[in-house]
Amino acid sequence: MRPPSIRYLLFGSLLFLLAGMAVTVGLPALDEAPPSALAVRYTPQEERGRAIYLREGCGYCHTQQVRAVEVERGTVHVRGDIGPESAPGDYAFQKPVLWGTSRQGPDLSHVAGRPPGNSREWQLQHLAEPQRFNPGTVMPSFRHLPREELDALADYLMTLR
Amino acid sequence: MSQTTVTTPSPQTPPAAGPSHEGRAARWFLYSGVFWLFVPGLAGLVMALFLYDARTQEWVPEPLRSAVIFGRLRPLHVNLLLFGWLSMAYAGSILHIVPRLTGAPLYAEPLARLNVFLWNLLVLGAAVSLPLGFTQGREYAELVWPLDLLQLLCFGILAVNVWGTALRRRVQQLYISVWSFMAATSIGPLVYAVGNKVWDPSGAYTGMNDAIMNYFYVHNIFNAWFTTGALGLAFYLLPKLTGNPLFSHRLAIWGFASVWTGQHHLLYGPGPEWLEIFSVGFSILTFLPNAAFTLNYVKTMEGAWHKVRESVALRFLAVGCAFYIVTCLQGIAQSFRGFNAMVHFTNWVIGHSHLAFVADYSFFCFALVYTFVPQLLGRALHSRRLMEWHFWLTLVGLTVFMVDLWVAGLVQGQSWSTGGIPFMETVRAMQPYYLIRLLAGLAVGAGQVCFAITIWKTARGEAAYPALRPGAALA
Repeated sequence: MRPPSIRYLLFGSLLFLLAGMAVTVGLPALDEAPPSALAVRYTPQEERGRAIYLREGCGYCHTQQVRAVEVERGTVHVRGDIGPESAPGDYAFQKPVLWGTSRQGPDLSHVAGRPPGNSREWQLQHLAEPQRFNPGTVMPSFRHLPREELDALADYLMTLR
Repeated sequence: MSQTTVTTPSPQTPPAAGPSHEGRAARWFLYSGVFWLFVPGLAGLVMALFLYDARTQEWVPEPLRSAVIFGRLRPLHVNLLLFGWLSMAYAGSILHIVPRLTGAPLYAEPLARLNVFLWNLLVLGAAVSLPLGFTQGREYAELVWPLDLLQLLCFGILAVNVWGTALRRRVQQLYISVWSFMAATSIGPLVYAVGNKVWDPSGAYTGMNDAIMNYFYVHNIFNAWFTTGALGLAFYLLPKLTGNPLFSHRLAIWGFASVWTGQHHLLYGPGPEWLEIFSVGFSILTFLPNAAFTLNYVKTMEGAWHKVRESVALRFLAVGCAFYIVTCLQGIAQSFRGFNAMVHFTNWVIGHSHLAFVADYSFFCFALVYTFVPQLLGRALHSRRLMEWHFWLTLVGLTVFMVDLWVAGLVQGQSWSTGGIPFMETVRAMQPYYLIRLLAGLAVGAGQVCFAITIWKTARGEAAYPALRPGAALA
């Protein structure tokens, strides 16, 4: 029995790819979720801070995605303070999304509400001196960034409610 | 160029030697790959050091601090390993193999040389732009728009050479490797274009669609280019280095079935549940091509296992194939929802990605470089002893590295899913694992130095040391 011809194989695999794309990417796109209460329309300043978050690669260590299995359980300081489960509509205005795949640090979906007191000021100080707040942390200091960039970054972090 | 005898490869056995053809492009692709291996390697070691103790970041001189920081080294590490080292070693090997399997000279050697130049330009662009903070911020798709276009051009030129040569073939039946390369060079760029959204300079989709597309892309650039290419290369080298015919051509064709599984990266996430279940189903189905590969591997190796002692190239290939089988099984395990819930976001996944890209495909590429560089130069490799050091340092170092990260990932996953343990404690608990990872990484790095010295000295024509027995000279 002869093996199938090359044309058959190539068109077959191309077809398989296109069908796979239609089902796993195309179909979900038809069902777009409306913006949720947590979806943010960024101001230019927040958008700028978001671009800095992306540029500095914060997303390689911090996720922005609370999964169903960790609600009520996920812990930053105390049990369950990871925050509510992420919903598709939360990301409605994000391009790109900053989900991340690795947690060297905690999830940041709801980081704005986490620090006690003046959260924005805490974010600024923590970005400059992470070791002071968490001895033994693996997070680098971002003191080398210009002050206005740190401000923008803090403004962006405050949108993560 | 005399082509009085054209070897006719049967579908079962790649020929020992093809028609004479100039192999300069292939050779320079292989050299470039070896050179670019060091940039992601060094970046990896620096990151391992930073993770072991964040205070070491203070050692970085102030002016360099914005560039030498984890968040910018990480995309450099990944992109240069994938699109520098691996892709260039693939391209060189493909350009070398296709003429041999088709009995036709390479379609356009000058075009292949242009391809080497442009590909180096691309990787140089990545090596400069990523530390400077030019990034699109989507995993495996970080390169900025002009580099995306250059990457597509590089893939395109390679495809012209592969398809052009295959269409002028002088043999009727195409060996599995050629069809793998034809598929990889045509479907790979298609996935790249869609995943990187190359018609939009921002390179990103919006909202949920961006996440879904990103993981479609991550999984399928892996399948369509890296895995399809690697299987083609393995199915060429296995018969060649063992001296046995490939056990089954028909089974080898079953390598291409996991296109639908990308969304298992998003289990329990905000995406649609039907899509998750669907992707888990297809992930389990990848057991079939994996079983076919395993059978082909074991049956082709039959009676030739003892040759791994003689040939370092075959040893790298044989171990790489075994790791490949483990990768697929681990991949299936990770797609089970319960297990995924625990290990997702942990160091387990970092271990898994090193299994795939280093223990599998880089091992294949070591075997390819060790086989083809002597062939292309017509002389033996410089040092058997260094090759042995390369193999053992890499194997032992990498195994410790991966097992360490898997254990670390299980510890993290267990702590996180228990709940109530402050996150910072789970970070501090990683320090011993990060020390082991750093030391193991240094061993792997030392192995690559042996590799580079061997290739460098072979390229410069220094005599082989110690002298090899005649039969083993080119294996």
